[in-house]
Amino acid sequence: MKSLKFNFIMLLILFGIFGLFIGCDSSGDNINKEISGGSLTSKISFTDDDGNEINLDKPAERIISLYSAHTENLYYIGAGEKIIGRHKTCTYPPDAVFAEVFDYNGDPEKVISANPDLVIIRPFIRKKAPDFVKVIESSGIKVVSLYPDKFNKFDDYIKKLAMITGTEENAERLLLKFHKELDDIKSITSEISPKQTLFFESTETNVRTVTSDSMAGIAIETAGGINIAKDAEPLEEGSSIADFGEEKVLMNADKIDVYISQRGSMNSGASKQGISERAGFNIIKALKNGRFFTINEKIISSPTFRYTKGVREIARYLYPEVMNDLSEYKNDNIATRRDFANIIFRYKNIPLFVPSSSSYYETEKKGHTFGLFSDINWNDNDFDAIETSVLAGYVEGVKDNGKEYFYPGNNVTRDELAQTVFVMGDFSSKNKEVEIQDIEDSQHKNIVRILVENGVFELKDGKFEPDRKVSCMEIIKAFEKIDIGRQVW
Amino acid sequence: MRKSIRIYLKMVLFVLSLILCGCSGGENRDMETSSENSFEEGGESEISNMKNNNDEKKGDVDKKAVLVVSFGTSYNESREKTIGSIEKKIAEAFPDYDQRRAFTSQTIIDKIAKRDNEKIDNVKEAMEKLIDEGYGSLIVQPTHVMNGEEYDEMKEITKPFEKNFVSIKYGKPLLTSDDDYKDVIDAVAKDIPQLSDKTHAVVFMGHGTNHFANATYSALDYRFKAEEYENAFVGTVEGYPDLEKIKKDLENFKPQKVTLIPLMIVAGDHANNDMAGDEDDSWKTQLKKEGYEVECVLKGLGEYQGIQDMFVAHCKNALQ
Repeated sequence: MKSLKFNFIMLLILFGIFGLFIGCDSSGDNINKEISGGSLTSKISFTDDDGNEINLDKPAERIISLYSAHTENLYYIGAGEKIIGRHKTCTYPPDAVFAEVFDYNGDPEKVISANPDLVIIRPFIRKKAPDFVKVIESSGIKVVSLYPDKFNKFDDYIKKLAMITGTEENAERLLLKFHKELDDIKSITSEISPKQTLFFESTETNVRTVTSDSMAGIAIETAGGINIAKDAEPLEEGSSIADFGEEKVLMNADKIDVYISQRGSMNSGASKQGISERAGFNIIKALKNGRFFTINEKIISSPTFRYTKGVREIARYLYPEVMNDLSEYKNDNIATRRDFANIIFRYKNIPLFVPSSSSYYETEKKGHTFGLFSDINWNDNDFDAIETSVLAGYVEGVKDNGKEYFYPGNNVTRDELAQTVFVMGDFSSKNKEVEIQDIEDSQHKNIVRILVENGVFELKDGKFEPDRKVSCMEIIKAFEKIDIGRQVW
Repeated sequence: MRKSIRIYLKMVLFVLSLILCGCSGGENRDMETSSENSFEEGGESEISNMKNNNDEKKGDVDKKAVLVVSFGTSYNESREKTIGSIEKKIAEAFPDYDQRRAFTSQTIIDKIAKRDNEKIDNVKEAMEKLIDEGYGSLIVQPTHVMNGEEYDEMKEITKPFEKNFVSIKYGKPLLTSDDDYKDVIDAVAKDIPQLSDKTHAVVFMGHGTNHFANATYSALDYRFKAEEYENAFVGTVEGYPDLEKIKKDLENFKPQKVTLIPLMIVAGDHANNDMAGDEDDSWKTQLKKEGYEVECVLKGLGEYQGIQDMFVAHCKNALQ
């Protein structure tokens, strides 16, 4: 019995040792095979946009993303936590700004020493900094280069991001949602008649536009706009920028209902002041009617899930009455601050706030800092409405112990509403002698006095009732008394 | 004793001889080095170049120019109303002088070049061109508000070129002497009727800087009050006094209305965004939230005739 046991143990030991040898050997062989043999033995396998075969045995866990669209999309598909490093231009979603910054114009050793298992670039980076990429690759770190140069390659690009991060299910679901949102916008705007005509300026230099098959060009079409520069030819083959020129814009001055200028780090269109100073442009219908808008390139020309926001923005500029539907708020329910922000955002047709540059977070803000409310996550459905109405100065958050809070579930008082109405409009004191019995209870005495004098708020038994909670309908009615109101077109 | 004196003298002689040897040795080394260098670097032609450099070619004293140096702006209309108007007045006042323009902001120079295909020189380029064209008399007149970083940098750039001119004079920035403060107040008061309405506060928004010249803003605020404009307040975007200080001042003053005016030569991005913008941290929004009726005047200092005249006067003073 004992000897049997002994023999068995010895056998196990021998088997173990043999197994160890085999194990070592075979695993080494497998790696070699995968590298040389390509997709046959790899679980994740595709060709990237630099034409390189990518083979991974398992999803990446420590990613450095050197392109802002990759970073954004990785967060959307639920792989944000895998990002250990970013390029300085990766500032969306706001959570991304906490990752360490890496630069392809800098030292590749910094990337290597951060020990990522994957670096995601785009072909532009390999072209601009080939040595940087080579050094990383030769250190054994996998480099994947992706960039969908056409809108119809977006899904394929997202699927590749999902493959390398093991988030295929999320990506599938989000892509369905993405296309549904675009289809929904299209189905709304296709019903609208008459259609609005727009000019989309992509660069101040030679007043250029975009090609109709570019992301912005497709956005215009989806948003139901008639693009006055639809037939503009690309600057060079494959370019999304197209020549148009000041002369042609002015020839169509009376046809352009809406003028949209794309702003961003590259090839910026005109600013509001810039366009107002351009000789002869004051004859353009859109500018005469105050329908000049700027749109950040990140939401309209970048291959990200945020593109739906850009398309919706264009639709809002073209058809504010339809796209800013307030019917769900026309009720007597007590308004929450979440409702309040939504009503403001829609009623005032405020352009969506997008940080204007990658250095946005480098300076401390005196007011609110975009995306930093502790109680509003960037993927909250009302994130845009809340951020935009706060950053337009119409609602305030609270700073407490170095953190910012919005308190979306809190109600809105008459005192708060009065402050918002006053900031929205241009009111002057009528110097009437109106007695407000409870004025001392207000935080905004002067504002309340002026608005009561102007008939925006009525008194009840001589009292303003600053602490009384307001309904959604009361908010809309107060806004209707402001001259600025909705844009008329 | 004698022995010790002898020893002492010997020591002194020894030290002296060492010193003398050291000096002559040094001379020798220097001579060797220079002859070696000139020999290695190619003999006579190099020496003649060195001579030329030492002589410094100077321009013709009768060939005169005024170089007007501004930060710059990419807004064409604003540029002509402000910088352009100042330049025009200086040109009218100096008919014997040719005029040149230079901007200190390379970003703006590049933007205009790309967008409008218009080349504007930076200070260095402008100086090099003036030398090439043989100018011997030059006045450099900045359109800066104060003697701050921009002014210092401008002088650092022009300094190496000074030797190429027979005469080079510098006009002072807008707020330099005590009289300048009074003159600026008089110049703007003429065109800002709100200053005379004492229920009305007029807030000037300057840029602000880390440079010690930042005190200029507080000095101007002080002077406004001394000139009996107790309703005028001067603040800055990036320095002190800041908006919080202005808010406190307004709380004490209790105006009904507030007028915001840029204290900058050009009403550009700061005036349009930081002062009059629609965002939550603009001065307009912040003061409206405090319950003031706010109006914004988007007019740069360079548009006020009195300010343009001050730059002409500074330019003239440079010659005295």
